[in-house]
Amino acid sequence: MRYRLLATAAALSVGLTACSSSSETAAAPDGTASASATKLTVWVMRDSFSDPVLDRFKTSFQQSHAGVTLDIQIQEWDGIGQKVISALASKDAPDVIEVGNTQVAEYSASGGVKDLTDKVADLGGADWIPGLAEPGKIDGRQYGIPWYAANRVVIYNKDLFAKAGVTTPPKTRDEWLDVTAKLNKGGDQGIYLPGQNWYTLAGFIWDEGGDLAVKEGDQWKGALDTPQALAGAEFYKKLQALGEGPKDSDEAKPLQATVFAKGDVAQLISAPGGAVAIEKANPELKGKLGFFPIPGKTADKPGAVFTGGSDLVIPEASLHQEEAYEVVKALAGEEFQLDMAKEMSYVPNKVSFAGVLSGNEATAAMAAGAANGHATPNSPNWAAVEAKNLIKEYMTKFLTGDDATADAGAASEAITAILNTKS
Amino acid sequence: MRPRRVLLNLAALGVLAVSVFPVYWMVLTAFKPTTDILSETPTFWPAHPTLEHFTTAVGTPGFWTFWGNSLSITVGAVLLALVVALLAAFAVARMRWRGRRAFILMVFIAQMAPWEALLVSMYIVARDTGMLDKLSMLTLIYFMTTLPFTIVTLRGFIAAIPPELEEAAQMDGCSRTAAFRRVVLPLLAPGLMSTSLFGFITAWNEFAFANALIIKNQADRTLPVWLSSFSNVFGTDWGATMAAATLFMLPVLAIFLVLQRRVTSGLIAGAVKG
Amino acid sequence: MSPVPAAPQATRPRPRTPEATPPPRPPRRFRPADLWPYLLIAPTLAGTAYLLVYPLVRSVVISFQHFRLGELIRGGAAFVGFDNYAEVLGGAEFWTVVRRTLVWTAVNVVLITLISTLVALMLPRLGRWMRLAVMSGMVLTWATPVLAATTIFQWLFQSRLGVVNWLLVTLGFDSFKDYTWFADGNSTFAILVALVVWQSVPFAALTLYAGLTTVPTELYESARIDGASGWQIFRSVTFPILRPLFGLIVSLEVIWVFKCFAQIWAISKGGPDEATTTLPVYAFQIAQSLHKYDLGSAVSTLTVLILIAVLITHLRRMLKHEGEQA
Repeated sequence: MRYRLLATAAALSVGLTACSSSSETAAAPDGTASASATKLTVWVMRDSFSDPVLDRFKTSFQQSHAGVTLDIQIQEWDGIGQKVISALASKDAPDVIEVGNTQVAEYSASGGVKDLTDKVADLGGADWIPGLAEPGKIDGRQYGIPWYAANRVVIYNKDLFAKAGVTTPPKTRDEWLDVTAKLNKGGDQGIYLPGQNWYTLAGFIWDEGGDLAVKEGDQWKGALDTPQALAGAEFYKKLQALGEGPKDSDEAKPLQATVFAKGDVAQLISAPGGAVAIEKANPELKGKLGFFPIPGKTADKPGAVFTGGSDLVIPEASLHQEEAYEVVKALAGEEFQLDMAKEMSYVPNKVSFAGVLSGNEATAAMAAGAANGHATPNSPNWAAVEAKNLIKEYMTKFLTGDDATADAGAASEAITAILNTKS
Repeated sequence: MRPRRVLLNLAALGVLAVSVFPVYWMVLTAFKPTTDILSETPTFWPAHPTLEHFTTAVGTPGFWTFWGNSLSITVGAVLLALVVALLAAFAVARMRWRGRRAFILMVFIAQMAPWEALLVSMYIVARDTGMLDKLSMLTLIYFMTTLPFTIVTLRGFIAAIPPELEEAAQMDGCSRTAAFRRVVLPLLAPGLMSTSLFGFITAWNEFAFANALIIKNQADRTLPVWLSSFSNVFGTDWGATMAAATLFMLPVLAIFLVLQRRVTSGLIAGAVKG
Repeated sequence: MSPVPAAPQATRPRPRTPEATPPPRPPRRFRPADLWPYLLIAPTLAGTAYLLVYPLVRSVVISFQHFRLGELIRGGAAFVGFDNYAEVLGGAEFWTVVRRTLVWTAVNVVLITLISTLVALMLPRLGRWMRLAVMSGMVLTWATPVLAATTIFQWLFQSRLGVVNWLLVTLGFDSFKDYTWFADGNSTFAILVALVVWQSVPFAALTLYAGLTTVPTELYESARIDGASGWQIFRSVTFPILRPLFGLIVSLEVIWVFKCFAQIWAISKGGPDEATTTLPVYAFQIAQSLHKYDLGSAVSTLTVLILIAVLITHLRRMLKHEGEQA
């Protein structure tokens, strides 16, 4: 019996080790023309790009780089910080990772990301748009390579606008509320605005002249309890009530594009690329989507928006640094940039590529809004504020509770504490 | 006497309803067409059952791979834990040796280990021993999370079997191991089954380690990780989410039905008698 | 979550057997057979060393270092003595979390023990079919995986389409129309308690019921002849006999509820407003969301110490029990 038991145990452990063997081949020394296939892993965030865009890139890259195969993996936003860090700290990391421009600073400072300063000239870095190049740069060294940018616009359902008799998109906040109330009739929602879309709230706060946090001397201070910030939140509450967006959730849960795709939602606040996801979920809406910049307080100035976007990084722990750079170069290069800008309506990473966007309704709306673009507080600790969902929880409380000032005060204090901790 | 009976049965019905309803609601939602799910007044019976949500769930890329991964590491961990625990439980229940109490204390304390709190150090240990991104590491961790409980339980079972039985067998000329195999093992069967049930549920469910230790080899993801990303992608689609949860629950239920009947048969027999 | 019939057997007072108290033997020299027990426990020791002791030691070491994102990736952490513990213990937040964890554990364990005792006492009084139905229902609950259960509860309590809100509104509580359960700390806490109790009662109830069936019926009869009421019978007959079983169940539930993590994280991530942040969730947040691995490890170490302190009497009794046997 003993022998049989031991034998079983041994067989088990052998089986276990056997099934874990990796099928990866070692890095090819010269990068491109290796005989044995090198598999490169690229992490792209959920809904950053449509499948056709990624497929086209994969095919074209593999054709021009013999011996390299690309494994493009889609990552979820939920828990991405932990995931990227596990990758950076590992010994065999993905070769190229997309990181949000609010998070790239933290990863770059950690020492797990390859310094690409000497490649900036090769990539034509002088022409990069600053909103993406700056966050990727720490102490004069470039770690994050600008990829694409976007800011939020209002996507609307032309059919529902026509049904409600709305002919021109609103230009001011007051018009916006009127129009949305008119659209919010019968079974239709005037706007689907989940309670925790904090980038949108940030825009309303900037419109009022407030901010999320301010730096006084070398100390940060959460600013959600200022009169300006409370006024912005008040407007958010009014707008949010004109639809059935859940007060306790954000735009990713449920994915707002799939909600909009049902066809009974008149407006949605999203990057223009959201239209691609909507049309994919419901092809009947093709051609029925319109775009306008988020209205400001007055007609002469569009609403303030958060300039969002992504950079590309190569982990130090990637086993294929040379090939990974080729991928980054291709993703940041003209062919891909023009293709994705057209299909996804994103802002490309270089000023000189911007011409591709002219004549596109979606990007015109975005460009108008971009003139009033803002960034999140420039602190490496800001990622922690996001990770702890402080603003999101405050928003839910603001929308469901009755003491906004107290809630805002508590949230501001929490932000103050996090921003002032030393890492 | 009458009203007491009625009251008792009402209470029993209440317990039954609370136990069954959430699961019933999950299965029901999974079979309802989306229009019924989104209706303001819920229906409590599948008027128009549909399989569309199951098709959606099964149709997500990699579903069968993740299914296979979960099944193989779960079964691997359970078998490993059973074998290892059986050896240790026998030593604790039937032998006397120096360090026995210390060993038992260790097992008790191991049972309290807050596993999720060890995530970072487990990551470091896995990385430093070259076990990152490997299903075998998950198998080992699940083995370890169920091991202490399995030892404690099996020890109880072994201790409840009178040693005289074994001794009698040994007198009949059996070796100690043969006596164990012929006499103790059959009596242990219910214990082995119920501990494997426990191990199966624990391992099948585990999310935190599966999510943190499988990084680049996405084909090595497990069903709980799939379920969580599924609810991110299909968050609004409660039908598909409930279908996914149903599919996730199915193997556990199957194992329960197969094992539990034998485990509880003695129990129910006793209940009917008493 | 554990097998039904195991526990009663494990705790039922065992008859003294010759094996348990062997007759005194003459002192003897080392024999190869003495190695047997050590061989048998070797795999357990090896597994524990690699998968529990090593990470645990690593975690304790980290709690004495400055160990943040950079140290995780680059290595080279410096020792800082008790700084992390001082920071954790000096903050008000930690003590709030400890208090909340104790409340969380107490509420859950009391409810679980109470409900499962009532259910266990109810079962033998039911008709055969009803009893089978209730037991099968509980087995179904028990078989529901945690992740599936959390998904179900999120759906049940969903604000717009959730059946709970519909039921409450139908019953006349109109304020529950579109009520957002997961926006409020107390209601989220309550839902989590409901979830954990719902999942834990079957094990405890079925185990207690199995224990009840071992109580000789003559004891009840003689008590009844003496004119004892139902409560008196429970207090003077049932409870004393089942006391070890109650002890075991309460201890196991304390362990499971105290370190409960998956349910809380899946439903609320410790929020809203940290109303559901218990110690394991707190440690996870600090480490994974804020990348303060050093502070997270310190909290983990303290968590284990607190759990051991809570269960010290249980551990003592177990060990004493072992002592009597060995």
